[in-house]
Parts: sequence; structure tokens; C-alpha cells
Amino acid sequence: MLPMLRILLGSQQTGLILVILLLGAVLSVFAGYHVDRTTGELVNNFLNSRTLMQTATDASFFVIMAVGATMVIISGGIDLSVGSIYALSGVMTAMVLRAMAPEAPFAVVALAVVTCVSLGVLCGLLNGLMVVGLRVHPFIVTLGTMWVFRGVAFVASEAESILVPQPLTDAIKLSFGSDALYPMPMIIMLLITAAGAVYLSRTVMGRHIFAVGGNVEAGRYAGLRIDRILVGVYVISGLTAGIAALVGSSYYGSASCADATGYELYVIASAVVGGASLRGGRGSAVNAMLGAMLIVLIRQSIRTLHLDQNYEWVVIGCAIIVAVVLDQVNRRLTARRLAGAGRSVTV
Amino acid sequence: MDRNRPNSYIEFDRITKRFPGVTALDEVTFGIQAGTCHAVVGENGAGKSTLGRILTGIYGLDGGQIRIDGRPVQFLEPGDALELGIGMVHQELVFCENLSVAENLCLGNLPARGGFVSDRKMAHRARRLLSAIEVDMDVETPIGELPVAQQQLVQIAAALGSGARVIVFDEPTSSLSHVEAERLRENIRHLKSKGVTSIYISHDLDEIFRLCDVVTVLRDGRHVATRPVAELDRPALINLMIGRTFEAYFPSHVDTEPGGQMLAVENLSSPGKFEDVSFSVRSGEILALAGLVGAGRTEVLQAVFGLDPMATGRISVSGQPTKIRHPIDAMRSGIGLVPEDRKRFGLVLSLRVDQNIGLPTLASRSDFGWIRGSREEELAREYVRRLSVRPDNVRYDTAGLSGGNQQKVVLAKWLAANCPILLIDEPTRGVDVGAKSEMHALIDQLAHEGTAIVLVSSELPEVLNLSTRILVLRSGRVAGELSRDEADQGAVMRMMAGV
Repeated sequence: MLPMLRILLGSQQTGLILVILLLGAVLSVFAGYHVDRTTGELVNNFLNSRTLMQTATDASFFVIMAVGATMVIISGGIDLSVGSIYALSGVMTAMVLRAMAPEAPFAVVALAVVTCVSLGVLCGLLNGLMVVGLRVHPFIVTLGTMWVFRGVAFVASEAESILVPQPLTDAIKLSFGSDALYPMPMIIMLLITAAGAVYLSRTVMGRHIFAVGGNVEAGRYAGLRIDRILVGVYVISGLTAGIAALVGSSYYGSASCADATGYELYVIASAVVGGASLRGGRGSAVNAMLGAMLIVLIRQSIRTLHLDQNYEWVVIGCAIIVAVVLDQVNRRLTARRLAGAGRSVTV
Repeated sequence: MDRNRPNSYIEFDRITKRFPGVTALDEVTFGIQAGTCHAVVGENGAGKSTLGRILTGIYGLDGGQIRIDGRPVQFLEPGDALELGIGMVHQELVFCENLSVAENLCLGNLPARGGFVSDRKMAHRARRLLSAIEVDMDVETPIGELPVAQQQLVQIAAALGSGARVIVFDEPTSSLSHVEAERLRENIRHLKSKGVTSIYISHDLDEIFRLCDVVTVLRDGRHVATRPVAELDRPALINLMIGRTFEAYFPSHVDTEPGGQMLAVENLSSPGKFEDVSFSVRSGEILALAGLVGAGRTEVLQAVFGLDPMATGRISVSGQPTKIRHPIDAMRSGIGLVPEDRKRFGLVLSLRVDQNIGLPTLASRSDFGWIRGSREEELAREYVRRLSVRPDNVRYDTAGLSGGNQQKVVLAKWLAANCPILLIDEPTRGVDVGAKSEMHALIDQLAHEGTAIVLVSSELPEVLNLSTRILVLRSGRVAGELSRDEADQGAVMRMMAGV
């Protein structure tokens, strides 16, 4: 029982969950109460279904993208263009829907899904092919495409915000009976995270990503097709950005070229707070979700506690650094414990 | 030995250095006199480089004492050695390769006025340092653009410039051409005339006879002898280096009746690496590729395994001409490569033991891309048991294993891939004696089971013990082939060195 407990406490996942629960508890205590207008009951300003659901919805866009971005980071790369892929696929999908104007609600949803997802995949493919084909560092390639994709979205939409058809919004705002709670984004987030976790841990491609990120030379010597694997991770990153764009623009009812500005940094921060190493070889989809949730929760707490919102970025920035430093300290302590137990690493 | 000690400039007194699993130096005691060129020789793994690194403060001591001019010294970091006048010329680059020669030579103490670097003064000082060893070169060139030979001269100038009276050379000529090597030796002779003490670590016997005054022989981390070079001839020195301990410890490979031809390589060439290399291996045979560092042994294996896109030549597997452009092609033809440097090429240290063992064959054993975890573990467990990897837990982090056990995991990867042809590169480098003997038994057993093996090893006793035939490479070309009966250490060494 005791070793089990130690493993649980030592694992980063538990650490993140504990921090999230702790922050939630602190928030609930200090949030204060308000009187619900319809029922007249006293309601906690944080611990109520609507705020919680809103927090989860806010997190869902980051999380969906972070699952893809985590795979890029595990492979040893980086994808700065996910926010722009989001904007470009959202805008183009809205324009395609406006131009084709399908009648049946099902046709609208189907067309939107196909268009948005393929655009995301296409952008990711472009990133991947350039990273592999031009032998340029992914930071540079995706820094470039970050501007290119958003620029294309800007030109195509002429900087106007484009409404998406009602059936899409209806689909994402399915409330399953409960009044004015829209759990679809959260459900999609959980599904994507689960799919990402399974992909990384149970499939050959997933294992290959870890191998390439951990030691690309050893991967080459083991006969892995490194180029394919690298293109693959950028395609997945594009795919998740496309899905996030679909969910986001449907939820908000419109798409614009300014959507998701700066999201790439939130997304990378989520992966890193979730323990992914920018050197590659390490990371997890579930932890990236927890990382994104922690960041969104910190943001939410500033709002709930009525702190000066101008400090939001300062707080989030500090939180990211603290989280990563704590993670490293923990890892070093674990390594020392392993070394102390007589397991030596030969020089 | 004792006659050297009273007036030795540098005294090593019972120097001991242990690495996990290996005692690299075991109570080594000898002295070096001022102003001599003192060679330290021994086979790979004898501890000669470790000794050089201890003297220059790169490694700490586990026992014993170093005395310079009779005073005990202790180095806590490399800078301390330099302060006592000991510099080192490394094989690899120790400079900031993007900076110029002048900047590198002045790096610790840039001439500056009011915070601005004076390029003129810096170039002047650099030229002065270089002229001390009578070298003239463009000090504005980024050092990374210079050939290794020139970089080594800059290292000598830097060491002398910071007041070094002793310079340790670690295999300085191993990557140089003949002309460059001779020029470097000329420089070292010149240093001697200026009273500088050189410690010359090498396994090139020729050089030692041409250059050095005194030679110290190390074997398996122990001091064997320190003698004036003039008192020795080549066979005597070789005998000192080899000793007679090896055969007793490692039972030699028993030839089996070789089967059909498995791998034939014809006219394999790769620009700048090797030329016109041909050989063939039959099932049950162990063909050893022998040669000095830089002879192109590893490069040949890489080319056969599809890792060298520039390689040309013909490869046939079981008599069938085969195009190998990528490791996947090699694997499909049943070729596996157990690479040297397990940390760089052999293992993904961030993955577990079973994940490493399964890596090359993961895709072919999967169900439509899905990993069958239980099958992967079972396979890993089989090979962990067969190679007695310790600890035998397949879910263990690879990074936590000792060198010998990591090496077994690399071998397990390719055994699990069921390759009838195995290319094995330096299988026992940096592993302890016990693991080494296990590794030998394994390779031997594989041959008995019909695997065709190409073995690269820098350890001659290993080559002689294990191989059916020995192909000697020299400077990228085949120097000759020796059968098991013709081969002894002297014959192979002579062929490797071209004398």
C-alpha cells in the first residue's frame, strides 16, 4: 500500500490534479456568494454549474490543440502556428458554408466538419513537409507559417467576422435537457484527450514519436522512417487546431481572422506545465489537458476573486515558470533517489 | 621504475580511478621527467586516456596522489591543472567554433579598452602566441573552419600561452593525414627543445619509436612498465601491451562448419570514408573487421545497413543482389546493426527496457498499428532472460542500467528482430570484464546457431578470440585478410599499421 501511495504522490499527474483541486477549493472559499435571481437560493460564485462549465469550455479550445501540440513537442519540435491554423480553418470554413449554403442541418454540419478538419490537416502537412524537406528548425518554419496562415485568413475574409450557420451552433450547444449548460465542447475535449492518450501509448506511431524525440539517431538505427513520423506530428497538430476551430467558431457563432491570437503560447504552456520536455521524448496528452485546465483556472480565479485583470498575464507567466521549476526539482530528486539506490549509470 | 622516481617532475603515486562497474586505473605508479616526451601506451580500455584526464583535472581521483616537483597537488577543476602548468591537446574541438582563432586564444582575457574589445591588440597577442610554436596562420578565421591539425596547433599555442610546462596529447594524430601528423610531431620535438614536457597518449607504435624518449605501458588499468624507448624494440613493446592474461579468461570461439554465403559486399565505396571494400560472410562465421581508429570500419557497417546515402557498390544477401538505401531495406533483408556508442545510436534512454527491445520490430509485430503490450513485454522478457540483463525487470528505465546491461539491451533489440545477419560494432566498449565475457559467449553462441556475424572491435584479443576470419582495413581500404590460423596479434597489428 505504501509504495503505491508513493508512486501516486510522486507522479506528476497526481501533483497537477492536487494543485487543481486545491486551487478550486481555495477559490470556492474566497469566491463569495450571490443570490440566484430565479430560484432565490444563495450560490457560490465559483462552485456553481454555470461557472464550472464555462471554465471547462474556455479550457476545451486550448486542450484540443494542446493534445496535438504535445505530440509535436514529444517529437522534439515545436508548432507556433496552431493559433493561425485555427483562424484560417475557421474563416475558410465559414466562407465555404456561406458560399455553398447547404439547406439541411445535417449537410451543414457534415460540410463544416470535412472542410475545417481538412484545412487544419493541410496546414499541418505544409508545416511538416517544410520542417522535413527544407531542414529548417521547426521554430522558424512555424513562426513563418504563423504569420502566413493568419495573413491568408485576413486577406480571404477581408478582416470581417463571418457568421456561421445556425445548425452548427445548435449542434455544439446541445444542452441535453439541463438548462443553458452546453457540455459539448467539454465532451469533445475529453474525447480528443482520450484519443491522444491512446494514440501515444497504444499505437506504433505514438511509440515512434517518443523514440524520435528521445533519440533521433537511435530511431534511425532502428529503421524508423523519421521523416514520415515528423510530418505526422505536424499533421496531427494541424488536425487538432482544425477541430478546435470547428468547435470554437460553432460555439461563438462566427469566425474571424483575429480568432485565437496568441493561443499557440497558451497551448505550448499547457503542454509544458503538463510535464512535456521541449528537448523531446517526454509528455502526455492527459497531462497537457491538466496543464491547460490549471492555466485556465488561474485565469478564472483572477476574475472570480475580482483581482485587477491587468495582472492576468503576469500571474499566468509566473505560474508557468513555477510549475516547470517544481516539475524539474521533483524529477531531479527522483533521479537522485534512483542513483542513491545503487542503480548506476555508466559513463 | 624506481630509478626514475627521485627526480621525476610528475609523480603518479598509486593512482586509482573507478567508474561504475569498471576500475579504469588500479594503483598506477610511475614518474615523468621534466623536458622529456613520455609516451603512455596500451590497448583500448587500458586506462591511458583516463590517466591523461586525471592529470589535466577533468576526472577526480578515487585514490592515490599526484605530485608535481615533489609537491602533492589536487585538482578540483580543469582550470586548476592549467594553473599548475599542465595543458591538454584534445582529439575533439574544445573551442567556440564560431569565434576566430584570435578570439579563442584570448577568450579568458580579451584585450579591451573601456569595455570595447580591441581587435588589433587581440590579433597581435594571438600572433605572438602562435609564433612561440613557429606557426603562422590567419588569426581572423573562425576556428571551426580550420582543419583539425591546425586546431590542435592552436590548442598547443593556447596551452603554452597560459604558461603550460606540461602538455598532454591524447591520440593527437588519429584524425590527421600523414603530412599533418609529421608536422605535429615536428612541433612536439620543438617543444622538447624548449624544455616543455610532453605526455603522449597513443596506440600508434610507429610514432612512439620516432618521437618519444620514455614509454609507460598500461594494461587493464594497471601499470606494466616504464622504460626508455631506446631499450625496447617493437615486438618487446607489443608483448608488454598484450600480456598473457586474456586467453585464460575468455575461452576462444570454436569454429563451426560454416554454411551458405549470407552476405556479400563488393566494391563498396563512400567518398572520403572508404574505397573498394569487398568481403563476404557465411552462415555461422564471424568475420572481424580490424583497423586503427579512422580506418573506416564503422563506416563500412553503416553503409551495409543503409545509413550512408553516398555509398556505392553491390550488396547481395543469400546470393540475391539487394538494394539497401535505408535501414528498413537492410532489416527486410535480415540484416541487423548493433551500433557502437549505445547512448547515441543504440538506445532511447527515455524509453523502458521492453520499449527499447521492441523498437525495431514494433511495426511488424503490431495489429494494424496497435501495440500489443503483453506481446511486447513477453518478447522483451524472453531476451532479458536469455541475455541475463540485470535487473530482469523489463519495465525498468533503460537509463538506470549499467553499461554492460545497456549493451545487452542493444543486442537484445536485434536478436528479437531475428536477423540472420548481424553487424556488431564495438560490443564490449566501456563494459566490465564480466559483461565482456558474457557478451563473447553470446556472440559465439549466435554463430553456432547459424547467424552470419560481422564484428568490429578495437580490442585485438577480442578480434582474435572470436573471429573465424579477420579483414584488416587501413585508411579506408582493405589491407588484407587473415584466417584464424594465420592471425596473431603481431600479424594483425603489422597489417593495421602498414609495416
